[in-house]
Amino acid sequence: MNLLLGSAIRGLPVVTIGDGEDVAEVRDVIYSPEAGRVVGLTLNKRGFLAGRRREVLSAETIHAIGRDAVMLDDESSLILPESSPADLGTPPSGRDVTGNDVLTEAGASLGKVRDIVVLVGSNGQVVGYEIDTPSGATGYIPLPNELPVSGNALVVPDATKAFIEDDLAGLGTAVEKFRSEPGIR
Amino acid sequence: MSERFAAASGRKVVSRTSAEELGKLAHIVIDAKRRQVTSLVVGKGRKALLIAWDQVSGFGPDAVMIADETALHEPRGDREHADADGKRELVGKRTLSDAGNDLGTVTDVVFDPDTGAIESILVDDREEPAASLLGAGSFAVIVRGPPSRPLPDDRSASQQADRQ
Repeated sequence: MNLLLGSAIRGLPVVTIGDGEDVAEVRDVIYSPEAGRVVGLTLNKRGFLAGRRREVLSAETIHAIGRDAVMLDDESSLILPESSPADLGTPPSGRDVTGNDVLTEAGASLGKVRDIVVLVGSNGQVVGYEIDTPSGATGYIPLPNELPVSGNALVVPDATKAFIEDDLAGLGTAVEKFRSEPGIR
Repeated sequence: MSERFAAASGRKVVSRTSAEELGKLAHIVIDAKRRQVTSLVVGKGRKALLIAWDQVSGFGPDAVMIADETALHEPRGDREHADADGKRELVGKRTLSDAGNDLGTVTDVVFDPDTGAIESILVDDREEPAASLLGAGSFAVIVRGPPSRPLPDDRSASQQADRQ
């Protein structure tokens, strides 16, 4: 399983598959902890006309987020924020999860979120978090495929504690093992 | 016999009527979706002219033969100007998979000089069949990448399936 950090998506070119053109670049990644996935991307212009682009990309219309580029079927995927899904066009405040506590359902803190971990080649599937553990180390935790009833990816199953990895490569394996645990989906 | 873009570049373009050299082949333009050569760019810079592939009477090993110089035309529109400037030249271009991963640089393109059909693309000298070509433009050449392994019970799987 190839993974990349949400922060590594910033600055990637946005490329149309049929035309091979770089139509924009990623300004920011909009993550929804309620959905447990990337819901869209905000954009900058490419090249000399650098600066913000008003259009956004809804995750549903993204073909794939890769290591080196975000791929679109065509440029019509770029839409104005007012015509995009509500959680993308007008994201609720506090959408940025950086610095938020990750709590187990039993109420223990695993650490604070530093970044999200995205599946390479997906359209924004988030499989884990990069966290600052209470001891000050960097850790990587897997997320279940289906969120607990609380419906927020910042509250994780108790079993998560046994799957904290110290590098991104280890997380790939941990996600698969974690999701095959009894009671985890 | 197959022909290659890199070897054909710089080949003289000759009028069949006058036997005169009209210029040198600078770029080969393709339609990525049809996997087909669509035109040739003759000469460079402001003097660059285009000729449609179906006007080429013979793409030979030593010369590209065309009827006469009236078959050549100046670039019209943004797309042809970009072609004339070599901005959409495939050789030397970055290659991306449709999953968004860098695969290397296009080192050559193999095509049939009789029909103009693209046969394969060499990416860092690895051969990609023409069938995997999805698009080509000024930024990148896009090829179908190896399928990424989906997660079991992928939360976005239904969406992905809908799009395919």
